[in-house]
Amino acid sequence: MSGWDNIRSSTRSQQGRSHSLNQREPSRTVTLGRVQPQAPAFRTIYCNDRDANFAHRYRGNSVSTTKYNFFTFLPKGLYEQFRRVANLYFLMVSILSATPYSPVHPVTNVVPLSLVLLVSLIKEAFEDWKRFQNDMAINSTPVDVLQDQRWESIPWKKLQVGDIIRVKQDGFFPADMLLLASTNADGVCYIETANLDGETNLKIRKALERTWDYVTPEKACEFKGEVQCEQPNNSLYTFTGNLVIDNQTLPLSPNQILLRGCSLKNTEFVVGVVIFTGHETKVMMNSMNVPSKRSTLERKLDKLILTLFGTLFTMCLIGAIGSGVFIDRKYYFLGLSKSVEDQFNPNRRFLVVLLTMLTLLTLYSTIIPISLYVSIEMVKFIQSTQFINKDLNMYHAETDTPALARTSNLNEELGQVEYIFSDKTGTLTRNLMEFFKCTIGGEIYGTGMTEIERGVAERKGIKVQEVPTSINSVREKGFNFDDVRLMRGAWRNEPNPDACKEFFRCLAICHTVLPEGDESPEKIKYQAASPDEAALVLAAKHFGFFFYRRTPTMIYVRESHVERMGKIQDVSYEILNVLEFNSTRKRQSVVCRYPDGRLVLYCKGADTVIYERLVGGSDDLKKVTREHLEKFGSAGLRTLCLAYKDLAPDVYESWNEKFIQAKSSLRDRERKLDEVAELIEKDLILIGATAIEDKLQEGVPDCIETLSRAGIKMWVLTGDKMETAINIAYACNLLNNEMKQFIISSETDAIREVEERGDQVEIARFIKEEVKKQLKKCLDEAQQYFHSVSGPKLALIIDGKCLMYALDPSLRIMLLNLSLNCSSVVCCRVSPLQKAQVTSLVKKGARKITLSIGDGANDVSMIQAAHIGVGISGLEGMQAVMASDFAIAQFRFLKDLLLVHGRWSYIRLCKVVTYFFYKNLTFTLTQFWFTFYTGFSGQRFYDDWFQSLYNVIFTALPVIIVGLFDKDVSSSLSKRYPELYKEGIKNMFFKWRVVAIWAFFAVYQSLVFYYFVTVSSSTSQGSSGKMFGLWDVSTMAFTCVVVTVNLRLIMICNSITRWHYISVGGSIVAWFLFIFLYSGIMTPYDRQENIFWVIYVLMSTFYFYITLLLVPVAALLGDFLYLGVQRWFFPYDYQIVQEIHKDEADDSGRTDLLGIDNQLTPDEARSYALSQLPRELSKHTGFAFDSPGYESFFASQLGVYAPQKAWDVARRASMRSKPKPKPNKIN
Amino acid sequence: MTDTDRGTQRDRNSAFYLFSPPSNQIFLSLIFCWSCYGCCVAFYLFTQQNLPACKPVLTPEWVFMTFLFIGFIFIPVGLVTLRASHSVVEIVERYDIGCVPEPFRINKVSYIQDDSIPKNCSLSFKVPKYMKAPIYIYYQLDNYYQNHRRYVKSRSDKQLLHGQNQHGISSCQPVEVNNDRPIIPCGLIAWSLFNDTFTFIRNRAELKVNRKNIAWKSDREHKFGKNVYPFNFQNGTLIGGGKLNPRIPLSDQEDLIVWMRTSALPSFRKLYGRIEKDLDVDDVVVVHLMNNYNTYSFGGKKKLVLSTTSWLGGKNDFLGLAYVFIGSSSVTIAVVFTLLHLLSHRH
Repeated sequence: MSGWDNIRSSTRSQQGRSHSLNQREPSRTVTLGRVQPQAPAFRTIYCNDRDANFAHRYRGNSVSTTKYNFFTFLPKGLYEQFRRVANLYFLMVSILSATPYSPVHPVTNVVPLSLVLLVSLIKEAFEDWKRFQNDMAINSTPVDVLQDQRWESIPWKKLQVGDIIRVKQDGFFPADMLLLASTNADGVCYIETANLDGETNLKIRKALERTWDYVTPEKACEFKGEVQCEQPNNSLYTFTGNLVIDNQTLPLSPNQILLRGCSLKNTEFVVGVVIFTGHETKVMMNSMNVPSKRSTLERKLDKLILTLFGTLFTMCLIGAIGSGVFIDRKYYFLGLSKSVEDQFNPNRRFLVVLLTMLTLLTLYSTIIPISLYVSIEMVKFIQSTQFINKDLNMYHAETDTPALARTSNLNEELGQVEYIFSDKTGTLTRNLMEFFKCTIGGEIYGTGMTEIERGVAERKGIKVQEVPTSINSVREKGFNFDDVRLMRGAWRNEPNPDACKEFFRCLAICHTVLPEGDESPEKIKYQAASPDEAALVLAAKHFGFFFYRRTPTMIYVRESHVERMGKIQDVSYEILNVLEFNSTRKRQSVVCRYPDGRLVLYCKGADTVIYERLVGGSDDLKKVTREHLEKFGSAGLRTLCLAYKDLAPDVYESWNEKFIQAKSSLRDRERKLDEVAELIEKDLILIGATAIEDKLQEGVPDCIETLSRAGIKMWVLTGDKMETAINIAYACNLLNNEMKQFIISSETDAIREVEERGDQVEIARFIKEEVKKQLKKCLDEAQQYFHSVSGPKLALIIDGKCLMYALDPSLRIMLLNLSLNCSSVVCCRVSPLQKAQVTSLVKKGARKITLSIGDGANDVSMIQAAHIGVGISGLEGMQAVMASDFAIAQFRFLKDLLLVHGRWSYIRLCKVVTYFFYKNLTFTLTQFWFTFYTGFSGQRFYDDWFQSLYNVIFTALPVIIVGLFDKDVSSSLSKRYPELYKEGIKNMFFKWRVVAIWAFFAVYQSLVFYYFVTVSSSTSQGSSGKMFGLWDVSTMAFTCVVVTVNLRLIMICNSITRWHYISVGGSIVAWFLFIFLYSGIMTPYDRQENIFWVIYVLMSTFYFYITLLLVPVAALLGDFLYLGVQRWFFPYDYQIVQEIHKDEADDSGRTDLLGIDNQLTPDEARSYALSQLPRELSKHTGFAFDSPGYESFFASQLGVYAPQKAWDVARRASMRSKPKPKPNKIN
Repeated sequence: MTDTDRGTQRDRNSAFYLFSPPSNQIFLSLIFCWSCYGCCVAFYLFTQQNLPACKPVLTPEWVFMTFLFIGFIFIPVGLVTLRASHSVVEIVERYDIGCVPEPFRINKVSYIQDDSIPKNCSLSFKVPKYMKAPIYIYYQLDNYYQNHRRYVKSRSDKQLLHGQNQHGISSCQPVEVNNDRPIIPCGLIAWSLFNDTFTFIRNRAELKVNRKNIAWKSDREHKFGKNVYPFNFQNGTLIGGGKLNPRIPLSDQEDLIVWMRTSALPSFRKLYGRIEKDLDVDDVVVVHLMNNYNTYSFGGKKKLVLSTTSWLGGKNDFLGLAYVFIGSSSVTIAVVFTLLHLLSHRH
């Protein structure tokens, strides 16, 4: 459990550090990974002055992620190899076999060992070379740097601290830099931090006013400043430092810092000064050393190897004691009477025992399958490079991305995954919001059908009818709505045209979107802080309410069909007040004045808050709308309620005064604003609700369903808010209304109250108590359900703040117990570190095999913490992919990756391992039995070369072929019967029981080999009356062993290709070729000519053929009987499936590929008969709305100060209490 | 393969026929094209893991059939083998105790080590069955660890083949030199050469024993030199066994060659010679033997074996019995399997 200690110590150091930071600002830093202790000194950077910076010897900007370099390769690589016990053991045995105690020539052990090392080293070198090339590609990306009043393009690696550089739109920042100037007005630039935290919302960075002008190279080269800042550290969200220009000290904040890995958006270019380079950048300091992961199977294999060592030791001990007892002068023919070497000296029996131990150790060394590791590596390498990487089922044509196995260590681990931890944005969803449905005045519009609805319908056996899309349907990114009743003014004929009108106006007016580009419906682009808003405004556009211009006080809408069909008019609405959205209010209102003077408040928000504020009466509408909301919610759609209210001018005026007062107050402004808003946001009239589809990645619900049938439990860990997370969980089928949901949230009134008081210690204590109470309650309840027979499925939803306390050592066990009882868990608002902690909680606490999948840099730590990390590739950010073990383009490919590749790899590897175990045990045991008949002297039964080539030639290839080609059921059946996967989770094929059965048959077979051959050869063979000697018998036995062991391999195959025949036949033929040559040639070198002509003599007798028929059959009879009985009476699941489908022709992968594509093509019309659906009643109404960075974004456009939203909750909370005194003036 | 794939293949094939007889170049390029295409398809099938394969499912029918098949093959083979073994006539006479005179039976070791006591001894036995020539004469030793590691490695093949060579006899320890001169043949194996001798008399007439061609031809010709003569052999204080005629080259010392083909097990037979006359039933054979060899110190038995051979070799019922046993148990299992299959329904 050392992992816990690491985490604990890191949290402790983090707390310690944040404590010191609290002096400056009371913020809790949330960091990725560890926090390094900081050097006390500050770093001083002279901008645009390479000579001055030279003295500090800052590190360059080149980045290296390779494991070795040219010089360290051999020593380090060998060291890595010899860390494997088996290799070390063979090194030892090789050394031992050079001593006189060895019964075998050193060649016996050296040849296989060096072969194994060679192959492994070549593989290592190859993999490191690929990493090196990748680094090279990154390091030589060009960037514009200021040199001699010009922008010079230099590669990233040449960049130095203090350089002034220019980054263009969509470019990545090559290093951590200080923003000086931007082409946007007011020194603002937008950045995307998807690589760091996975959020695709744009963040705003703003340069200090003093530096706004340094845009052009001429101007920029005049810039002489000094940056004094903290030493490099890995805290992504903090930065302390000052910029000193002309003896003027300006404080710097994270607001001016552009981090490596982020990219520039919506800004032509920015100019900045490099502060941290290369490995000192925050993102690089966050990237932990990629821990080399070993699969669980391999770790279990180590145990098996240890057991083999134990067996070996026992065998040696028995033999050695025997030799001590045996040795006696009476065997005068052994020449023991004169001076005798220690090993055979009857006077020193104890020494005889010891030395014979060594002898036997070298003799029986074959019990450890030396070529096992290298064979496994080869098999896995081919599996990953040829099968996983080239699988067309996992190839995403749209982005031209195949699957990529970045490590070949973990293939079989994929077959045993029990827990999947998934990121949300970009993994499950596309981060694409589409207006999908709406309800207006109690009428549902929109004929589309979400995937989850379709899934539910299909499960209930209802055939979904395809409704052709109407001719007029418009489709645009963000708008996926089809209903002729609303489009092109048709809404005028609806029962409730006024409601429709208000609905559309509300969409077009009540928002904070900025239009961009040409003011025509086709070309306009909406710039919104949240994609939901953009989708809503876009919808309004398609409904004929085209919002095309915004000034700080006005909104211009081009309205069609309002007064009469076909009429288009531009209307301008004066925006009087904006009541902003935040997570407590969960609503947003706009007070606007119509051109005709009508004062209206439009409001949109969560159904709970809107319903509270509705005017009494019209209960039918409310009831119907709520039903609709529930329906949307259970279909996984995100809903917002729309309402409006006409305001009387005098009421408004009096309220507005209060509002202005609140707005200008310096203390507690937000709270006051909220309070004022409450005053006017009441007695609203419900219009309807929107339903936005947070577009899932293709095939996600289906994939999740399949995986859950496979016994895999799915956890969603997301930085999103709870509503969004729950929503997606619904959309992905992880949550449904039949489930009992435990929600542990920090957004309760009690907690909020304590937080208001602001005492950090008290807050911590209180939340911890609260979390403990909740956990206990949930756990009790869960256990009740668990004991009852048909309890509902359980689900846990917990947010990041509670999780932080729940992960505390004292509560951890409770959390673990609770979450393991739940069939799905959703963690929202979690930091990257917490993602990793949750992952390792299950990994180490529950000892289950975990897989993390994510796409952004915020998933990196989680990806590294899990047994298997999967990155989503094909998007811009590569951080997750770089940290991952496997990269796939789409979440749905997980199905293929796990159920097909993982399962096969697991079964294959199990076969390879157990077979290796068996063949070496069998071989060594024949040797062991022989020892009993040689006076325990350690005489070898087989020739040196037989023994050394047994593993590497005569039995090597077929087992690799099995590792590559064995296929119990076809890939389509694997996916059709996901239950088969459970065998992997339970580790059915590599249990001790399985190993014991193999061991039993190995013992049986070795006895057959030894005794059948020796007993049958005790009289003369053939009509010449001549007798066989030791080497004749052993060659006979070896032939039987090779033949039998190879035939046994055929018996474990589920599918036999011609490569099986070729390799098995080839191995047997190779043995015969070898022995023909070996016994046919006499070399002049000193060699014991034992084997000379043996095979020819043997083959000239009938005895040879009779025995060769008898022994393998006798040896395999037991196995065959076992296989028959096992399949008949205790069949594995896969065997049942095999028998069900045994008469079917093997499906070609092509057809099932097409099948999948047909099912999932994105262009496929999504219109199915909605009316067919059974009505589902639920509590979940699907409210979700994303607005990180929301207030500031809008406010800054209006010239109103609002604190910059930081990237995480904790920080935001702390900043709210202490806003910066100096408001930024814009305009 | 998809339909389009098949289509292209067909197209290529038809193109091939259309242009026939093609010019050499077109022909070659077509062949190349086709084989390359085949390669691609094979590689495609490989990476997509769709190689054509047979999928054996071990159904009860298969198990039943296999066992029955094994039974039907093995029982006849076993019977034939047994018959061959039974056709062999074998006479085994233990003589190690019988050949020690009564007074010495208490201390057999001192008897055998005492050179002054004559070691001759005779045995007689009656031939139980007609024995057809050639009748092979073996001596059989028990508890004699010819396969002991120290014993097995104590020889120098190089010396045996090439003779006088100071080097390469270190492996012969502890019998490599005597009086600072190398021993030929060196090593424990040669030193402990078996040296009992047998003469056979039937009806007062000596039966000629052919002692030529008793060793493997390959050993005679390739492992023991034609120009290597025994030298300094058995000249030490301790004498392990037989002596060799220093005027006969090693390649003709067939006793030595037979002896040096070390046995696999501590109980072994070695060929002594052949009687090339038939022996009739109830013939009384008297054996005069020189009981020289010491097996008394480690309690080993010595036996004299006379045996005919069949096509399969000597008398050994094991193979036949094993065949019959496996064959019959296969049939039994097959029957049991069938019964179970008929009686119970799976799943």
